[in-house]
Amino acid sequence: MKSYVLGEFGAEAALLDAARTLRARGGATLDLHSPYPLHGAEEALGLRKSTVPLVALVAGITGAVSGYLLQWYTVGYAWPLNVGNRPPHSAPAFIPVTFELGVLFSALAIFVGLLAVYFGFPRVHHPVFEVEAFRSASIDGLWLSAEVEAGDADAVAAELRRLGARLVSVVPEGK
Amino acid sequence: MTTATKTIERVDPLETSPVLVGRPDDRALTDSLLEPVLGPTKKGWLVMLVLFGGGMAFWLLSLYMTLFVGIGVWGNNIPVAWAYDITNFVWWIGIGHAGTLISAILLLFQQKWRTSINRFAEAMTLFAVAMAGAYPVIHLGRPWLFWWLIPYPATTQIWPNFKSALPWDVFAISTYATVSFLFWYLGLIPDLATLRDAARTRAQRVVYGIMSFGWRGSARHWQHWRIGYLLMAGLSTPLVVSVHTIVSFDFAISQLPGWHTTIFPPYFVAGAIFSGFAMVMTLMIPARKVFKFEHVVTARHLDNMAKVILATGLMVTYGYVMEWFIAWYSGSEAEWFAFYNRVVGDYKLVYAMQIFCNVVAPQVFWVPALRRNVMVLFLVSVLVNFGMWAERFVIIAVTLTRDFIPGSWANYTPTWVDWGLLFGSMSTFAVLFLLFLRFLPAIPISEVKELRRELEHQDHHAAGGGQAVARGAHAERA
Repeated sequence: MKSYVLGEFGAEAALLDAARTLRARGGATLDLHSPYPLHGAEEALGLRKSTVPLVALVAGITGAVSGYLLQWYTVGYAWPLNVGNRPPHSAPAFIPVTFELGVLFSALAIFVGLLAVYFGFPRVHHPVFEVEAFRSASIDGLWLSAEVEAGDADAVAAELRRLGARLVSVVPEGK
Repeated sequence: MTTATKTIERVDPLETSPVLVGRPDDRALTDSLLEPVLGPTKKGWLVMLVLFGGGMAFWLLSLYMTLFVGIGVWGNNIPVAWAYDITNFVWWIGIGHAGTLISAILLLFQQKWRTSINRFAEAMTLFAVAMAGAYPVIHLGRPWLFWWLIPYPATTQIWPNFKSALPWDVFAISTYATVSFLFWYLGLIPDLATLRDAARTRAQRVVYGIMSFGWRGSARHWQHWRIGYLLMAGLSTPLVVSVHTIVSFDFAISQLPGWHTTIFPPYFVAGAIFSGFAMVMTLMIPARKVFKFEHVVTARHLDNMAKVILATGLMVTYGYVMEWFIAWYSGSEAEWFAFYNRVVGDYKLVYAMQIFCNVVAPQVFWVPALRRNVMVLFLVSVLVNFGMWAERFVIIAVTLTRDFIPGSWANYTPTWVDWGLLFGSMSTFAVLFLLFLRFLPAIPISEVKELRRELEHQDHHAAGGGQAVARGAHAERA
């Protein structure tokens, strides 16, 4: 059984320090919540480099290759069409669609990938939303959330208070 | 705050006026930017909605006539097979391009002034592309067969001809519409969450909650979000150039005098940015006044946009001059005649309007005082919109009226349905825009908050250590 411990901080520096301290302590999956991207959050949480660029690259290449193959198959092979006496397989004429499909696949992969895979969305219910004050996380609040074993929750909450959190709440996951 | 801002002004002569007036705290910023969405309906907004709703009805009627009576209700003829339909299409697509330029290219160049206007510009792109997309479909004659343009395994075993610019157009426009939408929505998600949390009614909370997919401002999400958003910007940048290039191919790869020219792709792209910035200005000036966005869309933004309009206007002028030069230098009688006909032919007034609006009018922006005068900015931006429409009409319809054989020459006169499709699409665009302003955050809230942090950082350094440090702070962010 897991619990979520939430703490609200008044300043970025205190929030990042608290994240570093709790990470060193171990035993919790930490996350920070803020209304804008926090500088230094990746370092404080020890996050690995994002793999989104790789996804975009692979999807882009897939799109471009399928775009080219589509054109080669349709007008170059299956139904050879003589236009201005150019060869059925005329590469320069295939450039625009190849490019467009590369961009299309890449953009779709970024969007769908981010939402469905990286973020696990749609997920309109999440334990952090149980705390009414957590609403401020998208307005002006800086929050830290720690997913911990239920037995450890009180210790982590005390630790958060010691680290300067203004407001600390514990949410059992079953709720 | 005032002392810090003044220091910046002294330190950096380029920072003539601030991109954000004051340093409001996050809650004040959220409240002021969400007021148009969460506050009561404004009377002015309602009046405009009803007014443009009437125009939209005219558009629907014109569409109905086109679809159910047939394309004969238009003024098009042979040789003028393309007239208002394609003119409007190119005009709308061009307008859309400035939105992508502001949101994507200026993001990659780290231009801070783009932050507060990018959402607005992206919405303009989306609606302009929607308006543009309708024309190529309805001009098909039998629009219900538009899906013949999509390569699918048909029983006839016939495929689209990928050596023609028209199927390229299909892919370019549909990709552009899709990518613009995804980019816009990705940027909207954090702000939709803000709306969900600041909502005053349960209905708003539920609707915006669903639309934001459950965004909780997680640092683990922001990390990927930022990279994804930047990558989308990186993809949109070449995309926007490719789209208008492909649109210009519709003309440039044909053999008609006046169309068959290699300058078209760059000249069309410059013209697109030119008209698009003018449209952003036309929409932004009244909107910032009505919705009280003056603290985030400052004189600095308008000044910068005026400079972009001036620069791209000069590029377009260069295109006009080069077209003339090549027409003369080519020694082709037909080519020369096409240009001669633009100036002295039956449509000389449209050409005069094109030159006045696109070449002469933007020159007032050389004077800094006029770049700060809201009335002048608004007037010139409207003129540029007209001028760019005239340019597309001259290129497309006027060129077609005089083809190779004098026996087949014919003039073009628009019918009321043509006018309905033009003015009706403007009204429909306005309706969509009004709905956007009322129901979605028009200024990117999370990005303005981030901008505020960056500026504070800069203020702090400027107050402490002068020029070198202020510049250093900027570089450090990069």
